[in-house]
Amino acid sequence: MNKNQIDIKPFIVFFFLLFALHLKAQQKPVSFSVSGTMGVSYEGYGLDRNPSGWTGYTPRRPWNQMRFNFMPNFQFGKNFSLPFNINLAALPTNFAGPYSGFIPGGPKQSFKQWIANPVNNLAVNPKYKWAELQLGTQYLHYSELSTGDIGVFGAGFDLKPKTYRIKFFTGTSQPGINYYAGPPSITGAFKRSNWMFQIGKEREGKYEVAFNFAKGKDVVSSSSPPPLTIKPQEGFVVSMVTNVFFDKGWYAKLEGAQSVFTKDLTLPINPLMNAFEPFVKAHSSTTRDYAGSGAIGKKGKDFDIGISTKYFGAGFQTVGYPYLQPDRLDYTLNTKLNTWKNKMNIVASLGQRINNVSNTTLRATQLIGNLNWFTQFTDKFSLNVNYNNFGFQSASGINPYGIKNVSNDLGISPTYTWSNSKMTNLIGFNYNYSKYTERDVLTGLTSNNNTHTALLTYVPTYFNKDLTPDFSAMYFYNDVPLAKLKLITISSGLSIPVAKKKIQLRGQLQYNINKLNSFKSDNNIIASCSVDWKITKKFSWNTYLSTNYFKYGNSIVPNGANYLESTCRTGFQYKFDTKK
Amino acid sequence: MKKIITSIVLLSTVQLLFAQFNTTLSLSGRPPANLTEWGIRKDVLTFIIAPPQSVSFDVKIKATIKTLDGTIVGNTNLNTARIFTPVQGSTLVLNSLDVLPLENIIFTGKYQATLQKTGKLPADNYMLCVQLVRATDYVPASTEVCKTFYLTAYQLPILTQPGNEQELNAKLAQTAITFRWTPVSPASPTVVTYRIRVFEILENQHDVQALRSNQPLLDKNIVGATQFIWLPQISMMPYVGEENKPDSASKRVIGKKFIWTIQTLDNLGQPLNQTDGNGESLSEPKVFFVANKN
Repeated sequence: MNKNQIDIKPFIVFFFLLFALHLKAQQKPVSFSVSGTMGVSYEGYGLDRNPSGWTGYTPRRPWNQMRFNFMPNFQFGKNFSLPFNINLAALPTNFAGPYSGFIPGGPKQSFKQWIANPVNNLAVNPKYKWAELQLGTQYLHYSELSTGDIGVFGAGFDLKPKTYRIKFFTGTSQPGINYYAGPPSITGAFKRSNWMFQIGKEREGKYEVAFNFAKGKDVVSSSSPPPLTIKPQEGFVVSMVTNVFFDKGWYAKLEGAQSVFTKDLTLPINPLMNAFEPFVKAHSSTTRDYAGSGAIGKKGKDFDIGISTKYFGAGFQTVGYPYLQPDRLDYTLNTKLNTWKNKMNIVASLGQRINNVSNTTLRATQLIGNLNWFTQFTDKFSLNVNYNNFGFQSASGINPYGIKNVSNDLGISPTYTWSNSKMTNLIGFNYNYSKYTERDVLTGLTSNNNTHTALLTYVPTYFNKDLTPDFSAMYFYNDVPLAKLKLITISSGLSIPVAKKKIQLRGQLQYNINKLNSFKSDNNIIASCSVDWKITKKFSWNTYLSTNYFKYGNSIVPNGANYLESTCRTGFQYKFDTKK
Repeated sequence: MKKIITSIVLLSTVQLLFAQFNTTLSLSGRPPANLTEWGIRKDVLTFIIAPPQSVSFDVKIKATIKTLDGTIVGNTNLNTARIFTPVQGSTLVLNSLDVLPLENIIFTGKYQATLQKTGKLPADNYMLCVQLVRATDYVPASTEVCKTFYLTAYQLPILTQPGNEQELNAKLAQTAITFRWTPVSPASPTVVTYRIRVFEILENQHDVQALRSNQPLLDKNIVGATQFIWLPQISMMPYVGEENKPDSASKRVIGKKFIWTIQTLDNLGQPLNQTDGNGESLSEPKVFFVANKN
């Protein structure tokens, strides 16, 4: 066992002992039931490109894939449950992150890599009253600043005696993966061992106070050859969460965190940097920084208002949120209002984000404003207006001009409905204007990028028929320097139950014309349908077929290139519940 | 007697003068902001030592980082600095790990505080001066060579459109989805490539799990620009009708759900920031939904 991992076996033995004693103590025979779902599905993908040998369009789904899911919950009496969560894919399809390159036809995975591959999930969470064991792959969310995004394969527990909260989990978030030049190339990864711990008190709907601790450490010798661009890391974070919910919908949420993160464990120990003994020793690449988040506001039936803020120091980093972008301060004002007898609904937010609070790079500011205003003027007529503004600005640095990008989007969507004795008709229109300007940092010239989008939708609903069709037409125009793009789409959908409503048929047909500058138009047809057959109340067979034919005009070489892309998904699902 | 002493002093001075090392310092004008990355990227700093004809003593490297107004930012702790034993006729080629080992550089005041928090120095123009000194008494053994450099960290793009958890109208999204992001800040002196990737989040999948385990529906390199109009050519009709979805599915998806991210690559096709965050220069991903809105 890795030194960084903690042995949880005694807890597991203790848990099952507790359950056995409970069974023995019970006089009556224990009731038993099983409920859940299980299923299997197949996905097939086809791509035919013309002329032969042309590779201008690449496949975007696995050619074949089988998926299995098995999620039963075994219930023993009132207090003990044994829920499983098993989701498996027959073939690995990893294209990003440490596993990238594990794709059909690529190198084989070891058993450890297969079991920890994020494409698969194997978990069981036995629960007895307030005690839950967590075994297998778990995506645990402790708090916004400690851990929450990454699945860890291992073991732990979640105890909730009365108002106390004690959680612990330890395991591996990724096994060692050797770098492989390819093809396909594998980025590679170091084995990362994690543990996390939470202790706190909570009364649902009233308050929550908790301390979180989370650590991850890479094993330097776990991959050979090691990744080229990724270094073995170590991170530890401690955070305190306080959430309080008052009367009349008022609330306050606060979290403060400190992280100690070593970006490269191969660099020497450095006493000049800040450590966090005994959890993390300081290396030359170790940083220690803070983060905080807070929100205060009121939630009501017709009126919400709140202010929220987040701060991430430049050196703040956690292994639980590997994609978090630090060095920023955000603050946002949110509000929601229902008025005019609930016929008017307004949602708005205004915020600013300041990047580079630490001054290690040029300061950049972002302004973000959103407004969505819906009004039901009459039973027949409603109008939705939305406006989004976004601005990004930074100092010039060594360039003559700083970055300045501004985006303004305005959308207007009226809807009109009318009825007669046979049907209701809905006609909707949506117009959106988007203006995006960018300043060139060398010349100072501003380029405009304007987009107009118009959509017309018609949906008839018949009172005496089960047929549900819809029709729409769309026009899209984007104008940027040197490129004018026009898109026209006509589409129609249909849904109808057949065979005494045991089978639900749905279909959609879509035709697109794309025109870039003065090139000849590209043409595209997409057809899709699905058949959902309820063979019995518990057993269903779902099939989905989609095909996409695209033919270029003369905007690319070879002229007239085209492709046919097809997707097929079919699968059986069985829902079971022995109580029913 | 006076003549003899004068002669000895003169001889010693001449010997020391002849024992001066020739050194050459090469330093990128815009090195990585994270000082530990200097050691990883061997091309950032090169220091060449050419020993003189007769050499009979060990040396240490004295490195000093200053601002352009001469304020000392940090310098080598000579007491603990590594000793080099030059060999006559053998040129030594050193890099950042030898010249500027961070565990052996004493930074001053606010610079030390910033470095401890961020691993970087404040964005500014700096000068690095390097000199060889005798290991025993720290007497200069070479002339001091200096190079200026500009230090600023890159901030990776922030994904702005579609916003996080934004719900797009399926009738619009089936034709075109506009993606926008902020540019790398400050602007890079060489052209950067933004690799945009969109992944579908399937039933029973967590958001980041989908990113790490699915094949991207879109994987495109965008050079320089911060907007991309995607023509998805995907039917946005859900795979299974809402009424046919299993009740117990823990992560139900209404309509279709996607996660997208940008990877920023330098002019050599390598991740722009290799030591910050995930090491892959992946921006914080965002999630969006595509659903029917009538």
